[in-house]
Amino acid sequence: MFFYNLRLAWLSLRRNPVLSVLIIGAIGLGIGTAMTMFTVYHLMSADPIPQKSSRLYRVQLDNWNPDKPYESPDHVPEQTTYRDSVALMKEGPAPLSNAMFRSFTIAQPLDTDKPPYPVTVRVTYRNFFPMFDTPFEYGGPWGKADDAEAHQVVVLSHDTNERLFGGKNSIGRSVKLYHRYFKVVGVLKPWRPTPRYYDLTATAFAKPDDVYVPLSLTAPLQIHQGGSTSCWKDSGSDFEAFLNSECVWLQFWVQLDTPAQVAAYKSFLDDYVREQKKLGRFQRPLNNRLRNVMQWLSYEKVVASDNSILLGLAFMFLAVCLVNMTGLLLAKFLGRAAQSGVRRALGASRVMIFYQHLVEVGVIGVCGGLVGLALSWLGLRLVSGLYRNYEGLTQLDPTLAGIAIGIALGSALIAGIYPAWRICRTSVAMHLKTQ
Amino acid sequence: MLNMTRINKVYRTDLVETRALRDFSLRVDEGEFVAVTGPSGSGKTTFLNVTGLLETFEQGEYELDGKNVSRLSDNERSRIRNEKIGFIFQSFNLIPDLDIFDNVDVPLRYRGLRAAERNRRIQEALEVVGLASRMKHLPSQLSGGQQQRVAIARALAGQPRLLLADEPTGNVDSLMAREILQLISGINESGTTIVMVTHDPEMARYAHRNVHIMDGQVTEVEAVDVHPTARQQATDAGRIHPL
Amino acid sequence: MRPILSALLRNKTGAVLVVIQIAITLAIVVNALFIVNQRLALIGRPTGMDEAGIFAFYSFGFTPDFKAEPTIRQDMRTLRGLPGVVDAAPINLIPMSSSGSDSTLTTKRGENMPGVNAGIYDVDEHGLNALGLKLVAGRNFTHQEVDYIDPEKDYTPPVVIVTQALAKALFPNGDALGKTIYWGGKDPSRIIGIVQRFYGNNYSGHIDWSILLPDVVTAKQKAYIVRTHPGQRDRLMPKVEKMLRQSNPDRTIIIMNSMTKTIADHYREDRAMAVILTVVIALLIAITALGIFGLAIFNVNRRRKQIGTRRALGARKADIIHYFMVESWLMTTIGVVIGSALAIGLNYWLVMHYAVPRLTWYYVPAGIGLLWVLGAVAVLMPALRAASIPPAVATRTV
Repeated sequence: MFFYNLRLAWLSLRRNPVLSVLIIGAIGLGIGTAMTMFTVYHLMSADPIPQKSSRLYRVQLDNWNPDKPYESPDHVPEQTTYRDSVALMKEGPAPLSNAMFRSFTIAQPLDTDKPPYPVTVRVTYRNFFPMFDTPFEYGGPWGKADDAEAHQVVVLSHDTNERLFGGKNSIGRSVKLYHRYFKVVGVLKPWRPTPRYYDLTATAFAKPDDVYVPLSLTAPLQIHQGGSTSCWKDSGSDFEAFLNSECVWLQFWVQLDTPAQVAAYKSFLDDYVREQKKLGRFQRPLNNRLRNVMQWLSYEKVVASDNSILLGLAFMFLAVCLVNMTGLLLAKFLGRAAQSGVRRALGASRVMIFYQHLVEVGVIGVCGGLVGLALSWLGLRLVSGLYRNYEGLTQLDPTLAGIAIGIALGSALIAGIYPAWRICRTSVAMHLKTQ
Repeated sequence: MLNMTRINKVYRTDLVETRALRDFSLRVDEGEFVAVTGPSGSGKTTFLNVTGLLETFEQGEYELDGKNVSRLSDNERSRIRNEKIGFIFQSFNLIPDLDIFDNVDVPLRYRGLRAAERNRRIQEALEVVGLASRMKHLPSQLSGGQQQRVAIARALAGQPRLLLADEPTGNVDSLMAREILQLISGINESGTTIVMVTHDPEMARYAHRNVHIMDGQVTEVEAVDVHPTARQQATDAGRIHPL
Repeated sequence: MRPILSALLRNKTGAVLVVIQIAITLAIVVNALFIVNQRLALIGRPTGMDEAGIFAFYSFGFTPDFKAEPTIRQDMRTLRGLPGVVDAAPINLIPMSSSGSDSTLTTKRGENMPGVNAGIYDVDEHGLNALGLKLVAGRNFTHQEVDYIDPEKDYTPPVVIVTQALAKALFPNGDALGKTIYWGGKDPSRIIGIVQRFYGNNYSGHIDWSILLPDVVTAKQKAYIVRTHPGQRDRLMPKVEKMLRQSNPDRTIIIMNSMTKTIADHYREDRAMAVILTVVIALLIAITALGIFGLAIFNVNRRRKQIGTRRALGARKADIIHYFMVESWLMTTIGVVIGSALAIGLNYWLVMHYAVPRLTWYYVPAGIGLLWVLGAVAVLMPALRAASIPPAVATRTV
């Protein structure tokens, strides 16, 4: 019976091509719009590192002005000072911890015919790589000795290695950053955590940085940060003073695998701050914070309110399309009520007529879903062109495609149940007398 | 075959109440060919709808083929329509999207027969009405008379015990009308009970018995001498096979 | 009117569906239009700069031999001498770009005095002219006031120029000119000039709270502003880039953009929101028109005989058209009444959750007007088709 009904559905769609196109177009448009916004929203609020997002914690310390909170007593600085970061790296009882910041410099390709070009630099401990599960194409992180002794070593992103070495294995070769040479120890595979949770400054969806160098080089090479710096006190008269200032500009993360480790780290932080208070720092009440990745993303409001508004409006739009579809289906079904009357007279039960029309609605739903999928692909191209750094947020994957077809089918059935029910309830005798 | 006792059927709208059948009683024997006549609004159509289990009624009893069908559920009525009753309508009521073969197939589908069995029956029914060669045509490609023959084939394919015809010749010319009546007579000859509603006394004469309805009641029952020419022609045609 | 209403009530479902559709459409269209216009107003605000004439870029020295101060001085001489250039100036950061720097200013000396945050821009005496800012009070910096300073050195200029908006924020009485302000409540500077408007960066929350300082920080990475005569910008941009690169191999030129593009990038998200919402509004209007159209066509086909009978009984074509128009108008009107409540409800929800401002009242009547027109246009074709049904239909039986 299913295939018989499928054939009837096909015949029915062919019978009124214009009406069929309108109905399928209506649901397709609704699905396309809703899926475009849903994809962006879904990827924006996605867990960028599901395997350990609940075990990675952002550390916040309140070293701010004793007379004035950073933003509010609940909003303590997102970043940490250089001196605290280095101290916490030395002493913290965490399986892994990492302090880092973003900088900006000029890379000089060694082939002199290529012009120097700007690159972003992540200045970090080696722990960055195991902590954030970065995939390596060649080599690996630099060693503990490189961190300790401030060696000029570098890890390249996939794109940078493409640009500087044509994608070849460049381990052991040299890269000229600014006017200094760095030895390549690792090359990453293409890697784009979305959102870029470990450093949300400037924009949450940008690509990861181009090159990675040891943080211990900061003082000797006077590496200035290129992200954001906030100060409530003088930043000092020279670079060394700046490193010792109360300015916050580093991101500090720890990995804590068990609740016991979390508790231990918390009390370690409190002890650290109490020690510092004795030195005259941290004059505000004890207010240290540990937030795991998803808590951090929601605290930082990574999903812009515009995206929430668009998602809501898109689903309201889908609702309009469905109401519209219900109206058109009702017109279509009632328009050939006589046929159903004949079928009923010839022995089809109500359930069979209902089933027949539901199959037709299902076919419309699947077609509408496919149209919607194509439209959402187009919609995502449009959205990607309108925003910056949205490439990572406008990718349809098989799961999303499945969701699209599912929503289309589900909403078509919702829109079609009433018309199908109406048609199967109509009086049998009414339509037989005249045509 | 069918036995109706004191059936009442009332149509209600906001303003008026119409008693379409009042204490209506009628008995039709197995193998009989009954013509029902009456003026417009007399309750003919209601009678046919009730007989064909297309409509329910308030009071009275209706026994069909030895079974009381007065208060069956919609599903049960659908099944009996499908298995025991064949319909022929004035306006043919073929499904325009389906070709001839598929139109005849419709009642068989709802009976859940296997494909081979359906094919055989459709083939045979279309041969009876002489349209086996037009199987792949759409209804719109046939004349009115041919369409009505397809409708007859559709009714035959289900091998009904009772064939209900509602003005079967209302929409065809007189020559074709006679041919269709002969087909119906032939089906009756092979044992199927026939109830035909018509306003045309000429056509009514093909039946064994004429029942006249007026104001929702049977007013007159009249045995008919079998129309000699009709009988003659039907036999001559020799196309009527029991299925 | 009454017979139309009762006919509508008889075909309840179709009419109810159209009414629902119109109601939700009104709610979305009113709110979306409101947001679109808000964003467009934001994007359209003048920045105070000569937006069309300016381009900006960074000169980035990357060798140990690079000397910032002589390079900057040499570059400025070169740029200012170029035909087609109005003026050029070094600046710490490019206004309206994603980079910005701000500091707290107070009107009284002392730690933790209440103050306001303002965007800081270091320029020389050519700064005002290169940016195209309009001085409304006081004077520009003089050549003598401009200091070349080492990036590591602390520096407080004796004189500053502020925007009108910042002047008002600091001195609400409007007597800012000649007054002294304090950097973080400590080092003083005197306000010698007020510019009408200068949009810098949004980090303080007020894009128009900007302050100009007469100094050139001799950093290796230095931003330049170049203002060109009308029509010369696009020709000069590649030329300047090439010329400066060649003039000094110890540096490179990066992030060169016209101010128009920098501003467009600044408002990118607002423009995206406006574009997407406009597309949604257009599609929604099309879908709703389709719904009204579809129902009307369905009703015309179903009532062919009835319409023919009316015609046979003496109804003129105009009467038939009128009938369908009034029917559509009735549905639209019921829809917009419900829709107005929905629109206000939706706005209330947006206000509560997403910091969207309260709806300006006239958007609701405007949306109602739009849907009335839409309802009339969508039903016109079916109404004309109904009017063309011949009276003879009445006598046909099949």
